[in-house]
Amino acid sequence: MARSKALAKSIIALIVLVIIIAAALAGWYIWTQMQRPTEKIYIRFAGWSAGETEMKNYEKIISLFQEQHPDIIIKYEVITQMFHENILASYGAGVAPDVFYLDSSWAPIFIDKGAVLPISDYVDEEFINQFYSFLLEPFKGADGKIYGLPKDWSMLMLFYNKKLFQQAGLTRPPDTWDELVKYAEIITNKTGVPGLAIYLGGFNRYMPVALSNGAPKPWFDSPDDASWFDHPVVRETMEWYINLYLKGKIEREQKGLPPYVVAPSDVGAGWLGDAFGSQKVAMVISGNWMIPFLADQYPDFKFGEDWDIAPVPRGTKGRVTMAYTVALAINSKTENPEAAVEFVKFVVGKEGQKTLVVKMGHTLPSIKGLENDPDMWPQHRKSLSFLDEYTMVQIFLWGPKSGELESKISDIMAAAMRGEITIDEALESMKQVVQEMFQG
Amino acid sequence: MAKPIFKSQIFFESKEIVQKKFSKIIVKKKYREALSGLLLVSIATLLNFVFGYFAALFAVYLSFFEWNYIGPMKFVGLKNYEILLRDLLRGISGAHYFLAPFYTGLKNIVLYTLIVVPTQTFLAMVLAAFANQKIKGVQFYKVSYFLPAVTCPVIISLIFIWLFMKYGFINYMIQLIIPGFAPDWIHDKNYLLYAIALVAIWGTSGHFMVSFLAAMQSIPRELYEAAMLDGAGPIRRFIYITIPMLKPMIVYVVVMGMIGALQMFDLAWVMAGPSGGPGGAGYTMALDIYREAFINLRPGVAAAKSMFLFTLIFVSTYIFQKKYKVVPR
Repeated sequence: MARSKALAKSIIALIVLVIIIAAALAGWYIWTQMQRPTEKIYIRFAGWSAGETEMKNYEKIISLFQEQHPDIIIKYEVITQMFHENILASYGAGVAPDVFYLDSSWAPIFIDKGAVLPISDYVDEEFINQFYSFLLEPFKGADGKIYGLPKDWSMLMLFYNKKLFQQAGLTRPPDTWDELVKYAEIITNKTGVPGLAIYLGGFNRYMPVALSNGAPKPWFDSPDDASWFDHPVVRETMEWYINLYLKGKIEREQKGLPPYVVAPSDVGAGWLGDAFGSQKVAMVISGNWMIPFLADQYPDFKFGEDWDIAPVPRGTKGRVTMAYTVALAINSKTENPEAAVEFVKFVVGKEGQKTLVVKMGHTLPSIKGLENDPDMWPQHRKSLSFLDEYTMVQIFLWGPKSGELESKISDIMAAAMRGEITIDEALESMKQVVQEMFQG
Repeated sequence: MAKPIFKSQIFFESKEIVQKKFSKIIVKKKYREALSGLLLVSIATLLNFVFGYFAALFAVYLSFFEWNYIGPMKFVGLKNYEILLRDLLRGISGAHYFLAPFYTGLKNIVLYTLIVVPTQTFLAMVLAAFANQKIKGVQFYKVSYFLPAVTCPVIISLIFIWLFMKYGFINYMIQLIIPGFAPDWIHDKNYLLYAIALVAIWGTSGHFMVSFLAAMQSIPRELYEAAMLDGAGPIRRFIYITIPMLKPMIVYVVVMGMIGALQMFDLAWVMAGPSGGPGGAGYTMALDIYREAFINLRPGVAAAKSMFLFTLIFVSTYIFQKKYKVVPR
């Protein structure tokens, strides 16, 4: 009896001891954790992800950066969907990240409201001069300062299926817009495969046609800018673009003929890359983002042998392509602007872009001098060589409300392409949309 | 207290003390129970206040302001409601769907609700009647009816997009009954809304079946026995006993169905896309509210439109309940 009591006592004592030690350890751990922020700088970095490889490469770059800057800790946050909407909401809630991706079309919203830091105040001119100047344009504020440094970019080009071209007896890619349609028709008539795939709608995809035929550069920020749609070239080219689908698909099918222009969904594809890679269409006009997709999803469909790229077709007044770029921007309310700038410089600088852009082959580097890097994918190198042929490179940015404008005008274009409204109704509606958007 | 003399005295006294102590414990316990109850409830209440009531009230407040998430909010009075009204008026006067998106959403969602709610209620009742039978393997049917209710709507939509393709399974089956009838469900503006409604009915009937099943099982058996003695067959028993006895549950299911249908978002988002598909046929009010908030960056207008949707849901369900409410006897 007494022995068992003593045993129980010692067991209890042991348990109490263990608890005391555990509590002490926990306390010590929490204390060290609390001490940390005073020593180290935390930078929250938010981006979307083009897949696991990209995320891993970013993690690699971040750990490399942290090795060189042991007092800075980067917290990498991946937002997979509705990226800018999420960032805006986080601003509304006051918990926006320190560094984040900023797409050219969203830039004015952030710059005009003073939400992002003028990065040109923190880095020297030499660093900024490394970038292609047209890629900096969308991130320039009214004060001439630069508010974001482009991390990479892509441009539109013509992708064509060499085998289908051969079958149709065509020896080179189309050089003009009229040739594009002619070739599409020839290919369909000879092979039965639709010649060209385009999206229903897509204001940005129509833009090279307008600009290469002499339409004024688009910029919408007041009701008067609706007059852009009255310009005879805009009218003419818009009609041409809408007719691509209206005549190439809808009217052809009404006549019982196979369509020579289709939308990806018409051939059971999710997007242009899918339609082209599965060889259900002979030509698409798309950007560099399609290149890694084709390599990954259609490894047997080989660049150079089976397909090739060419510059976007020419208009009467030159050759124009669209460029899409994303910058790294810094929250103007960040507590550690210097550390954030260091990190941005590291990622968008030469070494960072070599790892994140050139080697990975997703997009094009935004700084000059990497064109002949041995790690550059041949497809991307070829697309960069087209730059000299373009009279103009238009960035995806139509004014302070680019996103809304793009989506509304695209909806109207789609309705016209399906034949639900006439071209006149479409242009009138587009004008009305612009007028209402910027009314008082 | 004097020293106890008899043993029995000790006994009585101690009993008293024990009783006293015991009642003290009970009081304490009651108090403690109330306290712990309040503590447990407080978490849910707090969450409800922050994410429910506060958010709702903030939306009312927001509907009078112009804001784009960054920077200060600007008071604009009833301007956001004016934008909403202009959209509705323009839609009534016959403008294209892209110039009157909210009206298009309203028109579509009313039609959608009129199709979905009666059908799903009726179907749920019929399914419940089947599941209520004492037949072999009834558990299997119950599970298979209920399965769509626990499946993610986005996944259901994706599967149905595939089934609804021009050369898909649904058209293949239709061909067997009506040869030559093969609409392009998802890409034809005349069929898109019906396709979405079909998916919704399929997805929600099983859920409401459970409600009806529970109500059916509480109907006294004697009623059926008496009716059987009077010679009523199964269909007449269903019409004259089951349906009237289910009336409170029918009201509940219709109201819940209306609330769900009027704010439908997920199916339209996946099946029609953010801009509502061809001719805006799959556009809904909830889709438009989302677009105002996050694409057009006008949270104030989105809030004003939400107020309209709230009023619509509140008024329609209130009228329905008022009209068909069963007064407890």
